[in-house]
Amino acid sequence: MQDVVKSYKMGSGEVPVLRDVKLSIKTNEYVAVMGPSGSGKSTLMNILGCLDTPSSGRYYFGSQDVKGLSDNQLSEIRNKHIGFVFQSFNLLPRVTALQNVELPLIYLGAAPSARKKMAREVLERVGLGDRMTHRPSELSGGQKQRVAIARALVTKPSLILADEPTGNLDSKTGTEIMGLFNKLHEQGNTIILVTHEEYIAEYAKRIIRLRDGLIDRAALSKKGAWIQFLSKMESETSPEETSD
Amino acid sequence: MVLFENIFLAFRTLKANPLRSILILTGMAVGIAAVLHVVALGEVTQRKINKRLASLGSNVLQIRPNFSRRRGVRTETSVVSLKWEEAKELVDHSEVITATVPLYSGSKGVQFRDKNWNTRVVGTTPEYEFVNNEHLVEGRFFNQDELNRRSRVCVLGATVHEKLFGDRSPIGETIFITGKRYLVVGTLKAKGESWRSPDDQVFIPLTTAQQRLFGIKHVASILAQIRSADDYDEALFEIETTLRRNHRIHPEDGNDFRVRRQDFFLATIKDANKELGQFIMVIALVSLVVGGIGIANVMLISVTERIREIGIRRAIGAKKIHILTQFMTESIILGLLGGVLGIIGGIAFNQYRIGEGMILPMEWIAYSFMICAGIGTIAGIYPALRAANRNVIDSLRYE
Repeated sequence: MQDVVKSYKMGSGEVPVLRDVKLSIKTNEYVAVMGPSGSGKSTLMNILGCLDTPSSGRYYFGSQDVKGLSDNQLSEIRNKHIGFVFQSFNLLPRVTALQNVELPLIYLGAAPSARKKMAREVLERVGLGDRMTHRPSELSGGQKQRVAIARALVTKPSLILADEPTGNLDSKTGTEIMGLFNKLHEQGNTIILVTHEEYIAEYAKRIIRLRDGLIDRAALSKKGAWIQFLSKMESETSPEETSD
Repeated sequence: MVLFENIFLAFRTLKANPLRSILILTGMAVGIAAVLHVVALGEVTQRKINKRLASLGSNVLQIRPNFSRRRGVRTETSVVSLKWEEAKELVDHSEVITATVPLYSGSKGVQFRDKNWNTRVVGTTPEYEFVNNEHLVEGRFFNQDELNRRSRVCVLGATVHEKLFGDRSPIGETIFITGKRYLVVGTLKAKGESWRSPDDQVFIPLTTAQQRLFGIKHVASILAQIRSADDYDEALFEIETTLRRNHRIHPEDGNDFRVRRQDFFLATIKDANKELGQFIMVIALVSLVVGGIGIANVMLISVTERIREIGIRRAIGAKKIHILTQFMTESIILGLLGGVLGIIGGIAFNQYRIGEGMILPMEWIAYSFMICAGIGTIAGIYPALRAANRNVIDSLRYE
């Protein structure tokens, strides 16, 4: 896809979570969306991920205006063009890593043999070649997130949306996962990262700050301004693992 | 592709909650088993009745004494009213009555060597063999000559044959009926069970029975064979006219006899059987409805338990129809499994209750599958729609 432009504007009557947000993200960009809780990060993420549609304003996914699309068409976009990585992994607990990764391909309509092959390849790419038949409960947090990333990648989407991908991980694992995202970016993927941790946002090439549903233009900062903060964060984060 | 996936998925879900699945399937299973049992039972009874009907001889009327009403007052049963001569008269004076057979029977002990057996001894005429559709296994029926000479000969029913002789041939042997010798000339083919076993009888000439054995002059009943079923009304009219005249019955009084078709009681059994079947069928349907509600209930629980899963699937690209079919498949498979359990249970129950001669109502097994799939479908619609129409974002966040 060329010239991925997403502009988005929203004005809602009742409780405006996002107010007239204008934003465009280009192909192969690596963007972090930051902001305190309640700033509208999640809502923005949902709209970007075609899980939700704007109350008003327009969101173009590629050249496609999302507004006029049916539920089925949105599902198709999510399936083919967007890969989700969630804070809480959101893997299906009762099936193996391989089957979890295969899942989007099932809805894509791929043949079982092709499905398995593609899922295996992606799992190997995220370094889980030896964990394919494990169930999520048998995997560590980092491994689970790698499975989730593999699942996001398997349909070769044009956009990877990561919502607090390191939120449930210790900082060492988090760093590993972020390294993986860097690699994906180098391989040409478009990545949008939602986080409230500065050191995570630092991995991105561009940071968008949201405050009260608005993009905080003043805070559009340069990379490197937070290095001091980053080291502080690292020492503070306790290395505990959360299992889902 | 997605179908296989769904079937696989459905089984996995069922396996995750085996007890719940089994409990809920029991309702369906009971319903289906009951349906199959009723059907099998009905068919077995029907076969018995048909077999018995064939063995009865067709178009045979039975004339028996009855209470008479003399000017409205009920009198004693005129058990002595029917005569052999009347049987002859009926056949002689009628176009439609092709044969009549007088009968007199009583319970007597029969003996061969050291074996004793209490049975029904029936005095009749040689025509009995044809009118009542009897088949000989061995030997012959007694003949007119023996009837005229009051011979002490007898023909054994299958049960009596077996009780006194076992597997041996009794032809030419002598048995004792109340101490008198009778020569066995023939044995009859078994007719099978009925309310009064037709095989547990011994047949002797009517003359012998009346004069030597029972010491009476009347007969207990007369069988009248009519030309065809269409002649029933005419035959009935002729019988009534002749007998009323002979018995000198006042025009205002009722008959002192009654005429019924031999197959009438079978029709009654048939009706009773049908009614019982309908009753059990209603119970079966109720349990199927209850089973369906159970499936719907389990599906609703299943949907609630898996809201998060629904969210995940939707987020990574499942359309509403995918979620819908996933839960519908699960529901239908629940229904079908209930059906399979029910069919197995029904067959086992039939085997236990009916045993020999049990038949597999294949047609109904097929129907059962369809009914179960139907119930599974209906029960699954609402839960599956609820699952498919859930908001994706809320589902994803659902804890």
